[in-house]
Parts: sequence; C-alpha cells; structure tokens
Amino acid sequence: MHEPLILIIDDEESMRDSCSQILLKSRYRVETVSDGTAGLLKIRDLRPDAVIVDLKMPGISGFEVLEELGRIDPRIVAIVVTGYATVESAVEAMKKGAFDFLPKPFTPEELRMILSRALEHRRLALEAEKLTREKKLLEDNIITMVSHQLRTPLVAIQQYFEVILSDIAGRVEDEPKEMIRRASERLTGLLNLINDWLDLARIDQGRLLGKIKPLDPGKMMRKLVEFMTPAAKEAGVTLEWSGPDAPDFKALGDEETLEQVFINLISNAVAYNKPGGRVRIGLGEESGFVVFEVQDSGIGISKDHLPLIFDQFYQVSRSEGRKRKGSGLGLSIAKKIVEAHNGRIDVSSEPGTGSTFTVRIPKARGEAEST
Amino acid sequence: MVIDDDPDFVAAMTAILRSAPYDVVAADSAAEAKGKILAERPDLILLDIMMDGLFDGFSLCHSIKTSKEFDAVKATPIIFISAVKNIAGSRFGFKGEEQGMIGPDDYIDKPVAPADLLARIERLLKK
Repeated sequence: MHEPLILIIDDEESMRDSCSQILLKSRYRVETVSDGTAGLLKIRDLRPDAVIVDLKMPGISGFEVLEELGRIDPRIVAIVVTGYATVESAVEAMKKGAFDFLPKPFTPEELRMILSRALEHRRLALEAEKLTREKKLLEDNIITMVSHQLRTPLVAIQQYFEVILSDIAGRVEDEPKEMIRRASERLTGLLNLINDWLDLARIDQGRLLGKIKPLDPGKMMRKLVEFMTPAAKEAGVTLEWSGPDAPDFKALGDEETLEQVFINLISNAVAYNKPGGRVRIGLGEESGFVVFEVQDSGIGISKDHLPLIFDQFYQVSRSEGRKRKGSGLGLSIAKKIVEAHNGRIDVSSEPGTGSTFTVRIPKARGEAEST
Repeated sequence: MVIDDDPDFVAAMTAILRSAPYDVVAADSAAEAKGKILAERPDLILLDIMMDGLFDGFSLCHSIKTSKEFDAVKATPIIFISAVKNIAGSRFGFKGEEQGMIGPDDYIDKPVAPADLLARIERLLKK
C-alpha cells in the first residue's frame, strides 16, 4: 500500500512550500499546483487521497474546486485553508463537501492532526463501501450457488433413473420400473420447488426494476398462446386469444418475468379446467394500466379459498384432497412479479363455472413505439 | 466428449452414449476440456453450461467456435446441457446470442431423455 497522496492547491508559493515540507516529513506523498484549473486536472489524473485547497485564488475559487471534486470522486477528502477565516465561508465550504476547515495561520501540528483525521475518515468510508460491495456480491451469488448445489445431486439421480428406465443398463421388470418412475416424478417436484424458490428469492432482491421497458403486450401474449397451445390441446383444453393483435398501447414491463406470470396463469387455467374446456386470453387498457385477462371454464375456486391462493405453498387442490404436482409457489411468484412492476393481480371465481385472473401492468407513457 | 463437473452425471451419460454405441471421453472442467478437445478430437461435444456454479460453458463454447487455439476443431458440433431453467433458452431460443456470444448447435435440458439425446446427436453427426 502506497503512502497517502496529498494534493495542495494554493496560489501562494510560500504556503505550498511550507505545507509540502511538513507533509513530506510525515511521509506523505505530495503534489502541488498553483491554481484551481490545474488542481482539477491533477485530481482527475492522480486521484489523490486528500486535497488541501485555498479558498481564495485567482481564477477558479476553492469553492468551485470543492464542487467539482464532489462530482469527480466524493470519496477524496478535502481540507480548506484560508486567510479570511469567517464562520460564513467555513459553513459554505463544509456544505460543499469539505471535511474540515483550517484558518491561516496554522501550526504544522494543526495541519498534521487535521489531515490524519481526514485520512482516517476516508479510510473508514472506503472500507465500509468495500464491505457493502462484498456483501451484495455474496448475497447475489449465494442464491445461485446454493441452488446449483441443491440441484446437481438431484439431477444426477434423475439421470441414473432415466438410464435405468430406458433399459440401457439391463432389462428392468415393470413393477420396479413403475416405482422408479414415481421416484423420478417426486424428484421433478423437488427440482421445480427449488427453481420456484430461486425465482422468489431473485424477485425479492429487486433485480427486476432495471429491466423494465416498454413492450408490446399483444405480441407477447400471441407468442405465449402459440407456445402453450400444444400442451393445452393434449389436456383437451382450447386456448382462445381474443386480441387485439396489434394494440396501440405498450406495457412497462420485463418481458421475461411477465412471460413467467402468464405461463403460470395459463398452465393453471388448463390444469384446473374441465375436459373439453376453454381458456380465453384477453387484453385491454384502463386508466393508465394495460389489463390482461386469463379466463377459464374450469372447476372454479370457492370463496373460502379465494383470499389464500396467492399465499406461498397454498394449494387449493391439496386442501380438497386432490393430487397436483406444482410447488405451491406459482401464484405467489406471479403476484410478486406483478407487484414488482407496480401492477396488481386479482381473481374472481364462480365454483363450477370458472375463474378469471386479471393482471394490471402500468402503461408506457407517450407515443407507442413501433417494434 | 462429455464435459460436466458431476462424475455421476457423466457416468449416466456415458452409459447412454455407449449404448448407441459411441466412444466416450470425459472432462470435469472447462480447463481440462480445453486440453482434451485438442488431443482427442471428438466428433461431438456435450457441454454443461454451469460448472461449479459458474457459467463457464458459455465461454468455452465461444472459444471453441471462434479462437485461433481451437481452429482445428471449430467445426465440432456442441450441444449445451443445462439444469437451469430458461438459461439454455429452451423456451424461445438461445439468449446468450443477444450478448454477442456464439451459441451451441443444439441444447437439451437435464435430466436428459436417452432417446431424445441420441436422436439429436445423430442429426448433428449427419451434417
């Protein structure tokens, strides 16, 4: 680690020389300049640890140097010296970000003391900043690392099951094969749970906000309906897109996570439907919001369950004794994503007739851009 | 050639590939893979995207396809294998391409269905 670098900005040669000598004796590295413009150049170039600046100089004043210093790097500490020590100028300098104020004349001891306090202040600030940065990095990585560590062994087990089930490692009788198939399904459930939990944790971290931009809701929903039609057909359910295909409004959203919301809602609408049922996907706008609707003709949700379905790990089917393979986190993830967009998700339902999920996402302001 | 940091996953993949039958060489890290690819000259590479929690499969794929070091093997087909939902881009295409990365020839999710894997390999080897 280098000795701290101190930049002295003062128009008086005698001041520059005496300060330099005092500081060099205390083993600081010292640079001197005679005016503010040269001082700012040096600050940009050398990134000193501390700046000692005279308030009253020809050309750029000490106040202006302080202001610019705050823009270049607010972590560089500044000490102001001046011959016309008034309370007003001291207060003004502190307001502009100076660490302390040294009225002329001052003793070498006063200069050394004030500088060492300033440098200690800087050291602590830098350390705190580094710790915050490391903590953030650790938090970001720990979720990814832990989920990788949890998933890796499960995937290896599943892969062995796949090998066994396909008779590659020798013929397996039907009964043990069925058991392995079930074990594999349970593992898939556990993997889905880990994925969902990871999603929830990520939304908690508020990573979403930076990714939000205007998007074409019609294009997104058409693509999703197309993507999900084969699986719905397999379940005997018809997906109906009621448009509009080319809306003249845009939503403010992150496409990747919104896709996740609607994949979840449409999958639920298919899974909880009746044979031969249908799911209608609609789009509209209403007072500053883009309104998405997913309406099914399914079994519906009873009034007692309705307030609870967005809770983590709550599954209507479980309480009704039916077997479902979801993690129970899907709707709470959807809710969290929608709320991270400053939107809202609502549900209305008629048992035996079907449910409607309504998602409102803020509209992008101004002219709709073409894509 | 199978590149994956989990020895059990490699063992299971090896069983599937030998049944085809194919010869199999394995590497358990991007670093080991680099040497082995040049020495063994595999006909096809199965590459785990995320090893030791790092996405180093992406950069290995990119180097094989573009760097001078791998000029002799740059035409080798690469299949990405990933247990991370959405990252291999199995939903709507390979997302790394948006960041200027050279993508793989195909991708497949873990756990791998043996019949699907063998069909994809055969398709790439025919090219």
